Amino acid sequence: MQIRALLRTATFRLSALYALIFALALVSLLGLVYLRSAVYLTQRVDGILATEASALSASPPSEVEQRIEEALTLDGKKNNVFALFSRSGEVLAGNLAAIPPELRADGPSVEIGPTAAFAAPARLIARRLASGEVLVVGRDVDQLQEMRGIIASALIWSGGAVILAGLACGVAFSVSPLRRLRVLQDACAEIAAGDLTRRLPISGRRDELDMFAATVNYTMGEVERLMGEVKGATETIAHDLRTPLTRARAQLHRLQQSGVPEQAPEIARVTAELDEVLERFRALMRITELESRERQAGFVRTDLADLVAGVAELYAPLAEESGVAFDWTAPRAVRVDADPKLMFEAVSNLVDNAIKFTGAKFAGANASDQQGRVTLRLTAAPGRPRIEVEDNGPGIPPPERSAVLQRFYRGERDRMILGSGLGLSIASAIVRLHRFELELADAGPGLKAAIVCGPAPY
Amino acid sequence: MARILVIEDDAATATEIAACLTAGGFEPELRFDGESGLEAATEGGFDAITLDRMLPGCDGLEVLRRLREAACEAPVLMLSALGDVDARVTGLRAGGDDYMVKPFAPDELVARLEVILRRHRQAVRPELRLKVADLELDLVRREAERGGRRIELLPMEFKLLEFMMRNAGQTLSRRIIFEQVWEYYFDPGTNLIDVHVGRLRRKIDVGDAKALFRTERGVGYLLNAD
Repeated sequence: MQIRALLRTATFRLSALYALIFALALVSLLGLVYLRSAVYLTQRVDGILATEASALSASPPSEVEQRIEEALTLDGKKNNVFALFSRSGEVLAGNLAAIPPELRADGPSVEIGPTAAFAAPARLIARRLASGEVLVVGRDVDQLQEMRGIIASALIWSGGAVILAGLACGVAFSVSPLRRLRVLQDACAEIAAGDLTRRLPISGRRDELDMFAATVNYTMGEVERLMGEVKGATETIAHDLRTPLTRARAQLHRLQQSGVPEQAPEIARVTAELDEVLERFRALMRITELESRERQAGFVRTDLADLVAGVAELYAPLAEESGVAFDWTAPRAVRVDADPKLMFEAVSNLVDNAIKFTGAKFAGANASDQQGRVTLRLTAAPGRPRIEVEDNGPGIPPPERSAVLQRFYRGERDRMILGSGLGLSIASAIVRLHRFELELADAGPGLKAAIVCGPAPY
Repeated sequence: MARILVIEDDAATATEIAACLTAGGFEPELRFDGESGLEAATEGGFDAITLDRMLPGCDGLEVLRRLREAACEAPVLMLSALGDVDARVTGLRAGGDDYMVKPFAPDELVARLEVILRRHRQAVRPELRLKVADLELDLVRREAERGGRRIELLPMEFKLLEFMMRNAGQTLSRRIIFEQVWEYYFDPGTNLIDVHVGRLRRKIDVGDAKALFRTERGVGYLLNAD
């Protein structure tokens, strides 16, 4: 299973989105907790510092130094900073060597890193005493910083873990639906290849895939039933009408042999028309046979160059008599697995059609540039050889191209020409039987029909 | 008069076949199932057999196989309502000489019987040279000559002329010609065979020589024997 396909599934995308939203929510929650607690702790420290500074500055100036010494002695854990500096900034007492430059007397509290005299980060405030000396009171904020670190790393790790877990869940959830989708895809491909009896598997979970498969199966059931009815009707009509028509034709033949000579041309005309109906029925039956035929039966290694040469030999005289310039090329032996007789028939039908329509278009034209032209060529593209029949006849308008391959279709151009038969439909049925492709394109002007002799890529 | 054994289970169809065989100058004899058909055929005396592909109790192909095992060499024309593409191939492979899909025109049945009868007779006594009026075909040197004049023929034209000469006097439909000469079994279209026969005809019937080719309107072509 491809990773790319997996990443494209709806389940995966949804899971990834959930993971992202959850991670964002988690980060905001922890961030809020962090902010609130950090601000609270800082404010508390600042409050304590202010109280202590006020208490010290309230004592008589001569006693301040002594009070500082007492406070430092009492602070057994060495958590506090107390220091007194002279007007010129020299330390008079306490555990701080100098006033940090960012600390302003009577200004807001600041945080400093560890110093030589106090080995921990500290939060300090300074007060100018009435004597002009500066009192600095501080408190160790190592715990506060540690807590901040803990919360920040918790944010990074938990957010990352949530996103990773979300992605993993996305992949895990997507694999199973994707696998089922592949099974459905394969089944659909088989249906498209002509197996109308194939149905999509239903897991029994009654989920959306099951609902979809059930709908497709119902539709396919209807399609199969309708196809069966159409096919059955075609066969019945063709078969039931063929017998009386054949008898009528035989009676006409007898009449012609023994009847009045003046009536002979008329009888011949009726016979020709009956023949046309019979040929049409025969072609319809033939398409039905081809469609119901077991694939691959009678397939042998076939040289397409030989086949093309054979068709060219058979049709060159017809092209000449129809006033159509005909040429063909088949470079070298190109072998494919095919039923040679059927492929010959398919190519013959394409060439026959091209000559017939092109010949009819240019009938009566005299100028040399007004000549019908039909080209039959075999090209050996690697893996997918093509047999192309190109003409400069009337062509087929794009909207009609897929319709002409169906058995009941008669295009605008067919009405002008007698006995046009169902050549393209038969060719199309043969090509489908081989799992080859029949392409109809514009030759500008004219039609370019190509049989691509290779397995169609999905 | 050639005797034809008709093995056909459907009485109406059998009568119809018998009627058109009689009209075509044959002497038909009817059998309605595989076993009695096989019995009649092995007793001998028939020039050709028409055999239905689907018989009660015994498949037409099986009858054909047992006929060939019993060394019955009479040519067999298989008749079938099955139009399957492969049915013809299996029928011919099992030893049938020709294969016709029902329904068929009576003259088509007669023509096909004539063709296989003639081919059978010629197979027994192979000829090296065919002759129709003043037209001669040397099968060894692969040369055609009319009234001492050499006629250049393409390989397919030679094959077509050989087939028409072997069946001279017999009206041949376009379909029979296409199947027997080109050995393809699809509808060749209305004028494809006309064109090929026409070209051959222009090479053979030259100048004021007596015309050998004759077009039978709505049916096919005939090479005049007399």
